[in-house]
Amino acid sequence: MDDTGIFDIPNTSLIFWEVITFAILLFLLIRYVYPPIRDMINNRQSRIEEAIDEAQKTRAEAKELLDEYRRQLDEARGESRRILDESRKQAESQRARTKEEAREEGDRIIQRAREEIDRERENTIREIRGEVADMVVSASSRVINQKLDRSEHDRLIQESLDNLEESQKNGGSRAGSGVGSGNA
Amino acid sequence: MSTMLAQMNPEELRSEIIHTWEVGGDVYLELSLFGMDISVTKAVVFLWLGAFITFLIMFIGSRVLKNRPGAYQVIVEELYGFGRNSLGGLMGEEGKKWFPYTLTLFIFILTLNLIGLVPNSFPVTSSISFTLTLALLTFVLAQYQGIRSNGVGTYVAAFVPPNMPAKPIMVPFMFFIEWISELSKPLTLAMRLYANILAGHLLIFIFLSFILYAGGTNTWIGLAMPFLSVPMGLALYGFEVFVAVLQAYIFAILTQIYIELSMYKAEH
Repeated sequence: MDDTGIFDIPNTSLIFWEVITFAILLFLLIRYVYPPIRDMINNRQSRIEEAIDEAQKTRAEAKELLDEYRRQLDEARGESRRILDESRKQAESQRARTKEEAREEGDRIIQRAREEIDRERENTIREIRGEVADMVVSASSRVINQKLDRSEHDRLIQESLDNLEESQKNGGSRAGSGVGSGNA
Repeated sequence: MSTMLAQMNPEELRSEIIHTWEVGGDVYLELSLFGMDISVTKAVVFLWLGAFITFLIMFIGSRVLKNRPGAYQVIVEELYGFGRNSLGGLMGEEGKKWFPYTLTLFIFILTLNLIGLVPNSFPVTSSISFTLTLALLTFVLAQYQGIRSNGVGTYVAAFVPPNMPAKPIMVPFMFFIEWISELSKPLTLAMRLYANILAGHLLIFIFLSFILYAGGTNTWIGLAMPFLSVPMGLALYGFEVFVAVLQAYIFAILTQIYIELSMYKAEH
């Protein structure tokens, strides 16, 4: 070892302690320092990778969801248009049907009324006829002043009614003559 | 003033310049092992200090790890990441297993280089004994890894290029040449670090010693000299910080390369 220390070879004390110190330092660092740092870096790396994967997945999901919603919205829009069209058509046909029904009902009512009127007229005519026959009988009995017994009376009435009915069938003009002949 | 400075003879001046290395061998505690001097000297104390600080920085860094790292954790993690990604696996994935060794080497040498820049400390890396020991360690590890990866026969045979003409002469010759090359690796490795750190420190001291020398020639030059020497010294000091990092990096990466070269020796 030279005095200056510039080229101190071999410096046995320095070499000896260097080997020991470096060995201890190497052991301590490799055993206690590097593993936690390595784990931390690896953990963070895997966490970041996971986060990126997660974000990508979430984005894909969101996009899918958006597409789904768009599709549903389109469907709903189409559906509503269809429903609207249908209801419009239905309303149209309903209106037409109602109108038709109303017209038919009206026709039916008119028809019924017409029939009613006809029936009423027939009844009225029959009643008037009966009335007229009674009046003719009473008037004619009064006119001939003839006392008829009850059976004769009924017979005469029946005869005149038959004549009346017959004359109604054959024509109104012969009714009077029938009655007249019955009386004679 | 000039009178006093004029009395400084070249021998004294030289002593001032190399003062750092002269006191490096100061014995604090005399020890010996099997007749070998293992006294605790100033150099040894600063070696321990460097190792202690290296361990402390890294150990604290590994114990305050949080998911959201602070600046300190980022530095420690970056150091580790530098070792894993830039030092390890230069030639193949298998070489990565050596990065804890070279990374430790890098941090240790860097710390020692930077401690050596503190005034009145001792730059341990400017001792050829220190650098040569580490370089020989590299050499031994490289040979060990070379034999382990390739097998003894293949590894030794790989020192001679295949398809040599005039085999009886050329094979021993090439083997000899290759071994010189192999042996020069640890030597240059040791010399590079040692010379860089030593020369850097010496340059600073030499520039500052101009002040002492110039005082003896002329009073005015003596008075003017500090205004030249101190800025130059400061500039060199700044440069030395850069050299400290660079040389630590070079030493570590060359160690890694030498080991990996041996590892893949047979493939070349």
